[in-house]
Amino acid sequence: MSDLDDATRSAVAELLLSLADDEFVIGFWDSEWTGIAPMLEEDVATSSIAQDEIGHARALYELLAALTDDDADRIAYGREPDAYRHAALLDHRRGDWAFSVARRYLYETADAVRLASLATSSHEPLALLAGKMRREETYHLLHADIWLRRLAASPDSSGRLADALRSLWPDAQEIFAILAGEEALVRGGVLPTPLRALHAEWQQHVRPVLEAITGPLPDAVPTLGGRERHGDDFRWLHGEFTMVARQEAGVTW
Amino acid sequence: MSSHERVWEVFRQEDEGDPMVHAGNVNAPDEELAVHYAREFYGRRGESHRLWIVARDAITELDDPDLLKPPLDRSHKKPGGYIIKHKLEAAKQRAGAAE
Repeated sequence: MSDLDDATRSAVAELLLSLADDEFVIGFWDSEWTGIAPMLEEDVATSSIAQDEIGHARALYELLAALTDDDADRIAYGREPDAYRHAALLDHRRGDWAFSVARRYLYETADAVRLASLATSSHEPLALLAGKMRREETYHLLHADIWLRRLAASPDSSGRLADALRSLWPDAQEIFAILAGEEALVRGGVLPTPLRALHAEWQQHVRPVLEAITGPLPDAVPTLGGRERHGDDFRWLHGEFTMVARQEAGVTW
Repeated sequence: MSSHERVWEVFRQEDEGDPMVHAGNVNAPDEELAVHYAREFYGRRGESHRLWIVARDAITELDDPDLLKPPLDRSHKKPGGYIIKHKLEAAKQRAGAAE
């Protein structure tokens, strides 16, 4: 990637980090369902999807490591909590099943919009990877969509689902939070569509689906720092997923 | 939820052209989730080319021993009861002579 100037390279790095951290953190949150999902089959399905997300994160961290001459494991496990750049949507513990389904639906729909654009990125390794990820994410989205409809249709769960969607709605916008150096990314075609345009596209798609469940949702837009505020839930998760790596620093697996 | 669960039998084909072989079954409340679970149990490692997912209650079963294992001698129904070796040789010779 020697053809990139320093400013663009660091903007690409910021973009890759945001994508990777999103996948990494939702993968770890959803893996918290392993062993306790609503039924055995769902347990396997949820765990497998969570594992797919960690796999996507790994591929993205490797792209980032190649770009910045770093190490993928170091990036994944060697940072302090404040250095992670996942969106605020992913900063909450897994909650109950309705909460996890609500979050997965919000995330998968937003991720689908983002990946569709990135599949045409001028940064070729990212375009290739986004294309591959989309093939798996289509299946993840289908799974989240089935569960959203199931929970919405049952009187036992529709109230919980609606509450979860309403409470996560503002933080879901942050998937499209503006990135440092975004202008350079758009100019160079690394990010073929500006995040605010992707955000509008996503809202247009999900708002009617969600409002059928929740009633009217407030206007909401991404905010500055929507990927930088992390709370105690994430600090706990960070402690969990770095536990093994911290035991023997620098060890090779 | 368990009260609405159904059992789905899953058949898998390893490669195009291979026979569909019974792989096992999954519990799922509806066809959409049955497809997901079948994929997770019998296809997530890339081991299957195709899956068939069939609701168990859509399968017509025949296990009546009076029909399948009748008490009377059935040896006349088995091809092993006929010796055709000599007839086959004679037929080959006729075919050879006709050429």
